[in-house]
Amino acid sequence: MYGYTGLKLVVELTSQSIEKSPLDRDLLHRVIGGRMLNTWTMHEELGADTDPLSPENTSYIAVGPLTGTLLPASAYTTVSARSPLTGIIGDSAAGGHFGPELKAAGFDQVAIRGRSEAPCYLLITDEMVQIRDARHLWGRDIFETHRALIEELGDPAIQVAAIGPAGEKQVKYATIATNMAGRTFGRTGMGAVWGSKNLKAVVVRGRQPIRVADSVRFKALCQEISERIVTHVEFPKRRRVGTTMLVNGLNDLGILPTRHFQEGVCDYVDAISGETLRDRYVVKNKSCYNCSVHCSRYIVTPDGEGEGPEFEPLCSYTSRLDVSDLQWALKMIFFMNRQGIDAISSGETIAWAMECIEKGLLSPADFDGLELCFGNTDATERMLHLIVNREGVGDLFAEGTRSLAAEYGRGTERYALHTKGLDIINGDPRGLKAYGLGYAVASRGGCHLRADPFFEMTNRFEEARERFGTEKAATPFSYEGKPALVEYSERNCLLIDSLTICKNIGQSMEVIDPEFAAEILTAGTGLAFNESDMNASISELRTMERWLNLRFGLDPRDDRLPARFAEDPLPSGPAAGQVVQVADMVQEFYRIKGWSSEGIPLDRPGP
Amino acid sequence: MIRVHAELCSGCRQCEVACSFAHSSGSVARSLARIQVVKDEAMGLDYPVLCQQCTDRFCLAACPTGALSIGSLGEVLVDQAKCSGCGLCENACPIGAIRMHDDNPQVCNLCGGTPQCVQACTMQALCYEPDNTEHAMLRPADPGEGHTPDAKARQYAMRETDEHRSRWHTQGWR
Repeated sequence: MYGYTGLKLVVELTSQSIEKSPLDRDLLHRVIGGRMLNTWTMHEELGADTDPLSPENTSYIAVGPLTGTLLPASAYTTVSARSPLTGIIGDSAAGGHFGPELKAAGFDQVAIRGRSEAPCYLLITDEMVQIRDARHLWGRDIFETHRALIEELGDPAIQVAAIGPAGEKQVKYATIATNMAGRTFGRTGMGAVWGSKNLKAVVVRGRQPIRVADSVRFKALCQEISERIVTHVEFPKRRRVGTTMLVNGLNDLGILPTRHFQEGVCDYVDAISGETLRDRYVVKNKSCYNCSVHCSRYIVTPDGEGEGPEFEPLCSYTSRLDVSDLQWALKMIFFMNRQGIDAISSGETIAWAMECIEKGLLSPADFDGLELCFGNTDATERMLHLIVNREGVGDLFAEGTRSLAAEYGRGTERYALHTKGLDIINGDPRGLKAYGLGYAVASRGGCHLRADPFFEMTNRFEEARERFGTEKAATPFSYEGKPALVEYSERNCLLIDSLTICKNIGQSMEVIDPEFAAEILTAGTGLAFNESDMNASISELRTMERWLNLRFGLDPRDDRLPARFAEDPLPSGPAAGQVVQVADMVQEFYRIKGWSSEGIPLDRPGP
Repeated sequence: MIRVHAELCSGCRQCEVACSFAHSSGSVARSLARIQVVKDEAMGLDYPVLCQQCTDRFCLAACPTGALSIGSLGEVLVDQAKCSGCGLCENACPIGAIRMHDDNPQVCNLCGGTPQCVQACTMQALCYEPDNTEHAMLRPADPGEGHTPDAKARQYAMRETDEHRSRWHTQGWR
């Protein structure tokens, strides 16, 4: 096969069995790969009663047919499972260099189920697959684990995806990280799933060439993509500061989460911005495999050095907690990356606690005496240590914000800023209505990456009218045209997650659309992809995703946002006075997709 | 010759991918590339290693069959018909730039004058200087055991990046 390897690796850790099975060509043609392949497989294999931390849950790792080819920015990998944090679909994607190595080792997908009796790691090469003892690695952080594996296997070129102590302790939002803890499968607690399986790491080393069907046509299309990337108006900024451009970017729009979303403008934004980070700590650019943007960074600080950070952890540990100490935030991020814990979800538990104390609903006595007040870096740092080790009150925090608020009650639920158990990301939806809708309906919970409807910020009025029926679809404060925009964006993001391509490039830089995707998939794989079949697949898989979530117990009434965003207007700045009420948009969104007003698809998925 | 601007390399391997694709009619594999990016995430090391057209031409000197020669651009050319597959060129290269693959030596040949790696590198870490006649002075390879091309390339990469990596730690954060 071209592009694809056509092989799936199935590992059963209880019986220690390893099996390679062929992936059906028609299936691949239908679901493409990556996230759609994982979703289809979860729909086949996981049930309503599959406990996320039980041997029955399965961790799926998938790449796409174009991963590792000449196509720029195609290194992404998706890890999926039923989420221990939310109970619904969990998945997280990461860049770096892991995906292409997995493809070169001969696999499009890996499924890991069961539970190993003792800590183990999986070694996958193009010549053999082994389950190996990891008892000597258990307890080590992700950076040290990677280093130890390089030494043990005598090969500095291995790619490693590993969990840290937080995953081992099944902290509900524990991560898996690669690239020496520099690139993270951050959300939905995928690290906890591995921890529950006694799986410390997956190591990959591949030497098989990755071939495409029509290399001349493929190269021409890749050149077109490269052109689109380097000539894009955002290219210079993304290369200079990457996603950290959002600190100033969102602050300028009045929607930078400050003091737990109580404000959208941060007085000390210059102290914590991407530009300041670049000036003070960045020594050079870093990049994921075969990408033309090189938007990542290597930093050197008094507390350590390494790749990162991205915008979300940076904001989570600065303005969101009302902290202006950039150096401290970087130290926390290194700690979280290596211990293997999600910055967004951990930051939200702490911000929630801070606001509950501020509002007088709770006090430090409720948190082992920790003075969790906005801006208190010492207390935050101590809490992070407690969470990672599940010590003291950290054990409760490790369950996530939704659980915490349910446990403490007393009106604290109002301050738990999550949707469906997944904590809201660092973009205030009151100033971006389409994002607000997006968070409310995202199939993994409160996240912008399912839709990422950046178009509402563009003021491209003519185009807005053509594509979404109204000029207002290209303005952030209006509700008009947003359901149609989110519906379109959701489809494009699912496609991008299946190819697989980095969403910064595929979606935000508008480099990929279904028509182009069909052409490059055809040239790459030799299978006949066309736009209309692909759109049909995307619709079908999107519906299947909803059915899977319903099976997992999702309540459609949870297609909503926390009360703060509907009821508390932003107090100042460019988005002053704004709130976002999603109920009507959600109804329109259901209608466009052919779902009932209760949020149930009218089609059942096929086999 | 192709000059490397060490501090600009982000470790993306676009150069390797382009090289492999061009030299193998559309396949991508590290083993098919004549440029190899040495990476060490623990120290922020990213450095592309490729033939530096060294003054001593150790590979030519080592070849017992005369299968290697120098082209008009200063590049190393391989005559497959004369090559016996002995691998002495690989042993002799101090930096792991010429490597045996399926019994054939692979080395940068500047793609005949339009080096694909240089075109592919959007960090501009690779610079093609066709008129540059300064060739690298390299120490001979250590004939001891364990000196694989990867190990030699890594040593070379460490030396070439030592200056800026030290500067990161002495000048530090601002």
